[in-house]
Amino acid sequence: MKIKDNDISTSLQQQVKSAINDKKSLCIQGGKSKLFFGNRFDAELLDLSQHTGIISYEPTELCITVRAGTKLSELEALLAENNQILPFEPPHYLFTDKDGTTHNTATIGGAIATGISGPRRAYTGSARDAILGVEIINGDGEIVSFGGQVMKNVAGYDLSRLMVRSQGTLGILLSVSIKLLPKPANDLTLSFDATQDQALAVFQALRVQQLPITASVWYNNTVSLRLSASELILKTSHTRLNTFLNDKFPALSSAKADNKSTSFWQEIRDHTHPFFTLTDKPVWRLSLPPATQSISQIDDAIAQKGDAPEPSQLIEWGGAQRWIHSRTPANIIHNLAQSHGGYASFFYNKGADDETFPALAPELFKIHQQLKRKMDPHGIFNPNKMYQGL
Amino acid sequence: MKTEFSPTFLNTPDGKLANEILRTCVHCGFCNATCPTYQLLGDENDGPRGRIYLIKQVLEDKPVTQATRTHLDRCLTCRNCETTCPSGVEYGKLIDIGRKVVEEKTTRGFKEKMTRKALLSLLPYQKRFTSTIKLGQIFKPLLPKILSKKIPKNIKAGNYPSSTHSRQMIILEGCVQPALSPDINAATARVLDRLGISLIRPKNAGCCGAVNQHLSDEEKALDFVKQNIDAWWEHIQNGAEAIIITASGCGAMVKDYAHLLRDDKDYADKAKKVTELCKDISEVISKEDLTPLQTQQRQTKNISWHPPCTLQHGQKINGVVEKILTDKGYNLLPVNDSHLCCGSAGTYSILQAEISQQLQANKIKHLTKHQPEMIVTGNIGCQTHLQEVSDVPVVHWIHLLDN
Amino acid sequence: MHLDSNTQNTLLDQLSQIVSSEYLLTTTEALTPYECDGLSAYQRLPVAVVLPDNIEQVQKIVQACSNLKVPIVARGAGTGLSGGALPHEGGIILGLSRFNKILSIDTNNLTAVVQPGVRNLAITEAARPYGLYYAPDPSSQIACSIGGNVAENAGGVHCLKYGLTVQNIQQIKIVTINGTLLTLGSETFDTPGYDLLALMTGSEGMLGIIVEIVVKLLPKPHAVKVLMASFDKVEEAGNAVADIIAEGIIPAGLEMMDKPAIHAAEAFAKANYPLDAAAILLCELDGDEDQLEEQVIVVEKTLKKAKANNIVIATSAEEQAKLWAGRKSAFPAVGRLSPDYYCMDGTIPRKQIAHVLQKISEFSDHHGLLVANVFHAGDGNLHPLILYDANKEGELKTAERFGADILELCVEVGGTITGEHGVGHEKIDQMCVQFSPAELTQFFAVKSAFDPDSLLNPGKAIPTLHRCAELGAMHVHNGELPHPEIPRF
Repeated sequence: MKIKDNDISTSLQQQVKSAINDKKSLCIQGGKSKLFFGNRFDAELLDLSQHTGIISYEPTELCITVRAGTKLSELEALLAENNQILPFEPPHYLFTDKDGTTHNTATIGGAIATGISGPRRAYTGSARDAILGVEIINGDGEIVSFGGQVMKNVAGYDLSRLMVRSQGTLGILLSVSIKLLPKPANDLTLSFDATQDQALAVFQALRVQQLPITASVWYNNTVSLRLSASELILKTSHTRLNTFLNDKFPALSSAKADNKSTSFWQEIRDHTHPFFTLTDKPVWRLSLPPATQSISQIDDAIAQKGDAPEPSQLIEWGGAQRWIHSRTPANIIHNLAQSHGGYASFFYNKGADDETFPALAPELFKIHQQLKRKMDPHGIFNPNKMYQGL
Repeated sequence: MKTEFSPTFLNTPDGKLANEILRTCVHCGFCNATCPTYQLLGDENDGPRGRIYLIKQVLEDKPVTQATRTHLDRCLTCRNCETTCPSGVEYGKLIDIGRKVVEEKTTRGFKEKMTRKALLSLLPYQKRFTSTIKLGQIFKPLLPKILSKKIPKNIKAGNYPSSTHSRQMIILEGCVQPALSPDINAATARVLDRLGISLIRPKNAGCCGAVNQHLSDEEKALDFVKQNIDAWWEHIQNGAEAIIITASGCGAMVKDYAHLLRDDKDYADKAKKVTELCKDISEVISKEDLTPLQTQQRQTKNISWHPPCTLQHGQKINGVVEKILTDKGYNLLPVNDSHLCCGSAGTYSILQAEISQQLQANKIKHLTKHQPEMIVTGNIGCQTHLQEVSDVPVVHWIHLLDN
Repeated sequence: MHLDSNTQNTLLDQLSQIVSSEYLLTTTEALTPYECDGLSAYQRLPVAVVLPDNIEQVQKIVQACSNLKVPIVARGAGTGLSGGALPHEGGIILGLSRFNKILSIDTNNLTAVVQPGVRNLAITEAARPYGLYYAPDPSSQIACSIGGNVAENAGGVHCLKYGLTVQNIQQIKIVTINGTLLTLGSETFDTPGYDLLALMTGSEGMLGIIVEIVVKLLPKPHAVKVLMASFDKVEEAGNAVADIIAEGIIPAGLEMMDKPAIHAAEAFAKANYPLDAAAILLCELDGDEDQLEEQVIVVEKTLKKAKANNIVIATSAEEQAKLWAGRKSAFPAVGRLSPDYYCMDGTIPRKQIAHVLQKISEFSDHHGLLVANVFHAGDGNLHPLILYDANKEGELKTAERFGADILELCVEVGGTITGEHGVGHEKIDQMCVQFSPAELTQFFAVKSAFDPDSLLNPGKAIPTLHRCAELGAMHVHNGELPHPEIPRF
């Protein structure tokens, strides 16, 4: 895989300095695949998509340093040549242009800035867990680096991790160093039928089973598990899973190998699965303690309104990430998620004024504002994108 | 660790030893993790690392008050820290030196002085102590609870065997044990008799000296030590194989005789020999073929074992009693925090009653968690201390072989 | 730096109304044992030591100090090796050792709620009956507190596979400098807003006081195997590490010790380490039985190819515990070789191991001090222990110079000055080498967002530009000397 080596950091830095001078704010953008994520705001475009290339990559160091505009698809292809993967399996949400054509343009910078992780997250960690270092343009237009390329580094505050999920509001990511994992030899998808309650009970029991699971989904009364290991281990694991199901959940049928697995997991990861694409209802993401019981209140609300009885929930990460179609008012959904110790974010089919994230506690928000002011003293990076007033 | 002793002190035997010990300490703090008082109180001054620091200050001639003395008094001398210490700091020896110097440099209040004096003039003297206990047993209902619970039931010693074997060993009778539980040494004698060993009970031997040693009265302690060596010496020369101790607290002390008298030109060699011959009863039993002890079906099965600190940390004997009892078919129940002190610690239960009782309560909770039929231990101090609050019998493990 | 007597009297008066006299230490005699942490080469006496045992007391203490502008240095078990809990002469030590309770264990979500003074190992002991454990295991895990682990982002021998503290905690409660109690993170996999949990982890007590922690627990691996390989040459052991990773295996632990370290550890742990080897590698593999079987074969083959002359595989729990006991006690065990040691903590890219070890041995000759090397080879985290005698005039200074050489070498080869012990007081000058003035300024900006008067552990971890300028050890970026306006001496 040849990735175009194109360092435009000087011109990016120039644009930031001009913005500081002209008191203009900037809208930081990479592959445009996550434009929907966060609030809308007016600002001058700062385009990172041409800032591409690999700065350093030595497979035995389990680390790659890459420019932020590098496309995930290209990066992953390069890693695959060396039998390695990004541990957090970042989604490639597709960018749809004016003609309705979709493009796989998601970048590594966007993956880190939003901190959205894919199916593997519950098993091998998140984007924030994998980050080792960053190079950024800071609020004064200077290029600074934090963290590094080594596995352990506690010199200075952990500003690399702070960048993950800060959505470009604290600085512009120029390059990131990421911890890698060896690519498992094979994947195997095993599926069996289960109600939501049964699925959650199985996920719960599986947490202490030590099967080589790397993804889990419950949708449309079916549990699908992805296992990743050598051919031999997959075979024994399949047997072990069925013995386990048989012992602990005699009411369930045994798990069968599913051969359309690769595309299925890609659809779940990239939200090209019909659950995400074929609905016009609001799509919410609930992040909950994994052992949370099934949340049925939201379904009930839909039923009362006489909506079609299509599956309205898709559960991932062994119960920790739940996707919901629901027209229930935002405040009810936020309260519901909070009452279970989690939170809800509004993903798709939002109204123009709907905020993506739930409000923070006032004291906590105050700290956010103070931090933002210190890191971005001129207030030019993605203002109001995460929260109004931040 | 850096030390700044005055040259005069550095040239004394204590100064030299303290300096050597302090310089092995690297201040890592591992010791605090297993220190019973640090775990309870959470003050660096109440853990070994802090006490080492306090002692260092005293030995460097920095001002010292009763605050330091209180923190040293609170140390149980369980020596759990020595087991934990990777650098090999001999804390037990250091605190003896520290206590001695602090005792000289500070004055205790009248009441405190009297209590310590009373303990020193009672406990080490077997006859005095036995008659006090006898009186106590008679007047128990009239005594305040704090005292009355410390007085055990009257226990009969039982018979000593009459046969004489060619293999002979000396037994230390001790001071408080004959009064509180005279049956332990008798049972030991019967068990060893069945293994073909006779016990010698020298008349003039007495207290091992530990009571005085740990109350910073080294001079009197050494008197006891020498008295014992004199009492044992002829038997040693006549070929006694070992000096058996059934109370691990005394055992830890006797094993220290060589160290205590290392600079005494008359006694150094003898003390060395005594230390070599000194054996906890478990060390003797574990080396013997126990086939002669096979006996009838016994009732007791599930027991909790409490390893005394003086056995596991002081003498570093671990797993020996456990193996003997397991081999004999007893089921040793799991006990959490078995490395921690029960709070008895010699006179500690009297002088530091509050801390002692907290440790006692924690210990009994762990020991009785799985409903043992009996708690067994290897030191008279722990035994009486635990019996105070235990609903099940607390006995010396040797009894389990004596049936 | 010292407090004026008025402020001091007001402070002590206010503190005495918050905690009982037993837990407010003010005499030189009682304060001296707190004058240093696990790094005893540096000492300072605080104004007072306060030992609260509930959050409300902590809030009041912080408020009192904040109003009077008195610095606060938080302290857990005092086992840190970078002087992070070194007192401030004009401030207090806020000791959290009495916060030593495990509040709850959630066996459904695999978490535990613990107070900051709980010992790292105590969490694993409490979780064991449920088949769970807490993964990060710094060598001082028997004694170090979880609050300190969070403040330093502690690592351990299992980091390569299971991550550092930051990857193993879900939520913390902190008391901010104005006394507010904040919850950062949550019991879910992510939390809205900035990742302040990550920012707080490893911030060395400079952004807030940690008063409660939710840690993740993991199921105990079904099977564990530990391989010990001995080598005739240190470089061969170093190369073997990269070879194992190249095979696509992530060992649970991969540790290396050189000859002096082997000898010291063996004297304490009696682990049967080969005393004639130049270096040994300890490789722990875990997982389910089948996976393990496959991995052991690969690792054994790789080690042999890398010229290991003897490989021992410990299968029983006792044998494994013994092999690890030596490694875990290796630091203090070095106390048997020398009255004092100075422990370094640089991390380097794995491929540089052989080169860096060679250079360290050259530095050792140059400075005339011996060095024992113990390190987490899997993640390139070195712990050279420089042996010296503090009673000998000038030896500490030489040891410090030697240490600085090693750390600067680590930065030079693309690594960092601290992998897991933190910067603290000890490595503050080397921060000038690793970071540019703009980067240091950024750190100060973050600090001021949380603690505008710089009262929380001031003077640690982040050097002022002035300090760096005086040292002349300025990070030079693109060949330009930064901030020429700062006077240099």
